[in-house]
Amino acid sequence: MAEKEPSICDERNYNQLFRKYYEPATKYLYYKCGDLQQAEDIVQNVFIKLWRLCATVSFYKAKSYIYTACNNLFLNDVAHKKVVLKHQESVSGKTNYESPEFLMEIDEFRTKLTQTISNLPVKEREVFLLSRVEKKTYKEIAEITGLTIKAIERRMSKALQLLRNALGKEIKI
Amino acid sequence: MMNNYDTDDTFLGRWISGELSDEERIAFEKTEAFKQFNSINTESQLIEGPSIDTEAALIKVKAKNQTKHRNTKVIRLWYSRAAAILLLVSSIVFLNSSKTHTTGIGEKQLVTLTDGSTVHLNSNSSISLKRFFWQNNRKIELKGEAFFKVTNGSGFNVHTSKGIVSVLGTQFNIHDRLDFRLQCYEGKVRFTQSDIVESPYILTQGKSISIMADKIEEKTFKGNQPLWKNEVSSFENQPLSLVLEALSNHFPIQFDATSVDVNRLYTGSFKHDNLETALKATLIPMGITYEKDTNNTNIIILSE
Repeated sequence: MAEKEPSICDERNYNQLFRKYYEPATKYLYYKCGDLQQAEDIVQNVFIKLWRLCATVSFYKAKSYIYTACNNLFLNDVAHKKVVLKHQESVSGKTNYESPEFLMEIDEFRTKLTQTISNLPVKEREVFLLSRVEKKTYKEIAEITGLTIKAIERRMSKALQLLRNALGKEIKI
Repeated sequence: MMNNYDTDDTFLGRWISGELSDEERIAFEKTEAFKQFNSINTESQLIEGPSIDTEAALIKVKAKNQTKHRNTKVIRLWYSRAAAILLLVSSIVFLNSSKTHTTGIGEKQLVTLTDGSTVHLNSNSSISLKRFFWQNNRKIELKGEAFFKVTNGSGFNVHTSKGIVSVLGTQFNIHDRLDFRLQCYEGKVRFTQSDIVESPYILTQGKSISIMADKIEEKTFKGNQPLWKNEVSSFENQPLSLVLEALSNHFPIQFDATSVDVNRLYTGSFKHDNLETALKATLIPMGITYEKDTNNTNIIILSE
């Protein structure tokens, strides 16, 4: 027998959805538009709408509802800005053996890398960041963006090619 | 040699997701470009996304959610109540609304009522009656002067400033201006004075009632319809004030009668088609001269 579906009108369930999807959805829109304030506004409006329609949206389909609504609302806001990206401060264990010059170079390289990613076309940028920064699988990215896995592979490839073309010279091995 | 990553537009994407075959992967890892792609990939994974305060956003959204829910409920209830009341009031007003027929100075109008009765309105007069269900209670309010031909049926009341005229299948004329005159041309009419409900006057054919300065007088007359219907106003021993009033009802003029005695009695008549002839017919026999005001030709100054 099928278990009774949790209702989004129940505040606990609503909060659960909010805590689960607010951040990833906001980041996703941020990677698209580069404006964190705008991204947060859109996602908040989506959740306000979800509360109003809580009786009509299925709990299990909430994720897809949220991302679809985000995409739809986003289409209306055309202004695109550059994404501001930062590198993690913590240095991972394997960099221990790196020489000071190498550290300096890698610092420079990282700055260039974030800049270049910011300058990628929006289509490639969102896929690349969802995959590499948010560590999403292609399947998850497909759910979020509504693209096919094939298209994501293509955009990912193009992003890497563009990055290498721009940064190839900087990479000293 | 062409490399896989150049020719196959999903190759690098599949490399990232670990979907390459062992053969493809090993060949790719041997290329010079691989090292570059690999460091791009490794370093990219160390990038941080924006930091987002989910709890703060949740509080913000919760606050909006509550107000939204409450507001919409209140507004909807308020709207529907207001709409219901408005509908009720407007339908009552509409069903009770009255229809008014008015004639201007010098105009006459024939009005046929829904029961077939006719009302000839003399100039500068008006009648008003209910737009709907009037036949259930045949009630008319009259200002000015009108000649009624009433078809059979129960109850037909004309409300005037001096009282109510009730009839049953008849023809009569009501003149309700400075003075009040009721003439019965056919059948029977009952006249109940506004403040005296008892002992109403019953008028039969050829009888009339006139009220001037609260004095009520019963008279007889001849003719089968009022003279004004033939474009004539006639007077018999009536004060000049009434004559002047009648003139200003049929012609767009006003009189300055400060230097004449308006209580003098006049007998005669005037026609409604020409102002000059009408003035001559009424004023010259009374020995009154008249001239138009130089500033306003609609005002006529009288002198003896």
